[in-house]
Amino acid sequence: MNAIEIRNLHKDFGEKHAVDGLNMTVPEGAIYGFIGENGSGKSTTEKCICGLIPPTSGEIKLFGKDHKDGEERGKIGVLIEAPGCFPNMSVWNNMKLQAANLGIKNENEEIRRVLHLVRMDGAASNKFKNCSLGMKQRIGIAFALLGDPKLLVLDEPINGLDADGMRIMREILLDLTQNHGCTVLISSHILGELEKIATHYGIIRGGRLLKEMTAQELNASCPTYVHLKAADMNKALAVCNNAFARVEFDEERGEIRIYDKLSAEEAASYLFGNFGIAVTELGTAKISLEEYYIDLMKEGK
Amino acid sequence: MSVNVKNNDFGKRLKTMLRVDFRRMFLTPTVYIMLGVSLALPILILVMTGFMGEADPETGEAVAMFTSVWQAIGSAGGGMSMDLTGMCNINLLYFLVAIFVCVFVGEDFRSGYAKNIFTVRSKKLDYILSKTIVLFTAAVGMFLLFFVGAMIGGSIAGLSFDLAAVGASAGSIIACMISKIFFALVFVSIALTLACVGRQKVWLSVLCTLGAGMLLFTMIPMITPLNAGILHVIMCAAGGALFAVGLGALSNVILNKVSLV
Repeated sequence: MNAIEIRNLHKDFGEKHAVDGLNMTVPEGAIYGFIGENGSGKSTTEKCICGLIPPTSGEIKLFGKDHKDGEERGKIGVLIEAPGCFPNMSVWNNMKLQAANLGIKNENEEIRRVLHLVRMDGAASNKFKNCSLGMKQRIGIAFALLGDPKLLVLDEPINGLDADGMRIMREILLDLTQNHGCTVLISSHILGELEKIATHYGIIRGGRLLKEMTAQELNASCPTYVHLKAADMNKALAVCNNAFARVEFDEERGEIRIYDKLSAEEAASYLFGNFGIAVTELGTAKISLEEYYIDLMKEGK
Repeated sequence: MSVNVKNNDFGKRLKTMLRVDFRRMFLTPTVYIMLGVSLALPILILVMTGFMGEADPETGEAVAMFTSVWQAIGSAGGGMSMDLTGMCNINLLYFLVAIFVCVFVGEDFRSGYAKNIFTVRSKKLDYILSKTIVLFTAAVGMFLLFFVGAMIGGSIAGLSFDLAAVGASAGSIIACMISKIFFALVFVSIALTLACVGRQKVWLSVLCTLGAGMLLFTMIPMITPLNAGILHVIMCAAGGALFAVGLGALSNVILNKVSLV
């Protein structure tokens, strides 16, 4: 069964089409990386899923039922934009309110459990407004985790988190999906982090889903390339440009990338054997999600 | 551990929502400020005005503005006098209640807490119903404390407690207070609807509510006089219930149509 199924979703704000005929399928148990530029419609879609804004038209199903179904909505944990906490109230009291909202029986035990998961045990008595950005984000995640939700909708949850926070976040999400059958819809601009955990991807642009694929499909679509550095880079680049179909120069790393189907050794021997260019560094790599995404965006433009 | 919001069971849904709202109300300082003001206001009015007075045009002697403690609750005539005693009485609480409703509801949206509530709860009516009950309870507390404050203030200022002098009886005072409390439901409902319209913009809902309150303000002495009877109680209860149901339905429609974040 799919945790989320969206068909032909539209959301207009006056003349602006924030979401324009979006179709999306998030299988149960998946970590679905929802990627897109700022203003592409990610947050609007997530708000529609959570029932926070009414869609103009279209159909949203949660676990096979309409998204307005109360039973299904009770299964969602959410962190959209910022955690919904009263600033003058302590973290503990804010969580007590949410626990009461969810009708959780052993409130104190459950709050301690989720605060411990995000390593925020010591922050319970702090006023929410006095917490740092990273702490607030962790508390927001703890909020979303209250009551073992079956679906987590997280909008930019790793913004403001330190390296440890990101690691904890990864561990929690992997544990939830692998051991508790939870489904996660996560949007983030930190694609490197997303790449480590996502099992599915959806790339959105201008309110439409450009591409939807599994991590395996992404892996297959990401080409392998040979990267090299040579003693005479200018000459090497000129030679490669003439000899191979797709060659790029990575200015950031100062290396030449050859995307043609050949091994690193073949590239090095071709340069040295035919032109006497000594290769100083050599290797093969796959393009990352970030590069794939940037390429896809460029193609679209 | 699993989420226990049985959304098909109205009773359970309302119970959990009421738990959230009551807990929240008693965790925020605003309610204590409002209750404190309700208690202190009549004491201040009655004690302070005891030292002031207008000069009698014939004798030139100062005449105290409040001669009876019951003037702080209302007048028996039913009409609204435009002097200080007509304005500075228990009816001021309706505005205080309206402001409290707007601030209380607005804070849900300003803080983003509404996201937590409405993600889990697809039925907006739970929210409206719970807020109406909780805020009406707070209003009842405010009215009762004002009454207590008026008694304390009257004692300190040495005012008359004679009911017959103001054309009322113990029964009519009770009926008057019950009518006033029921009529508070009208203000709660109006303020709640306007707070749902304004949402994050608390200033807007406060302004609109005060404007709407001004229209009703002159009616209050007529509907809830000191010599009120059972008819006044029924009228106010019916009015309160009608406003709560009608405007509650309107608020429900509003929340279903607008963005909640």
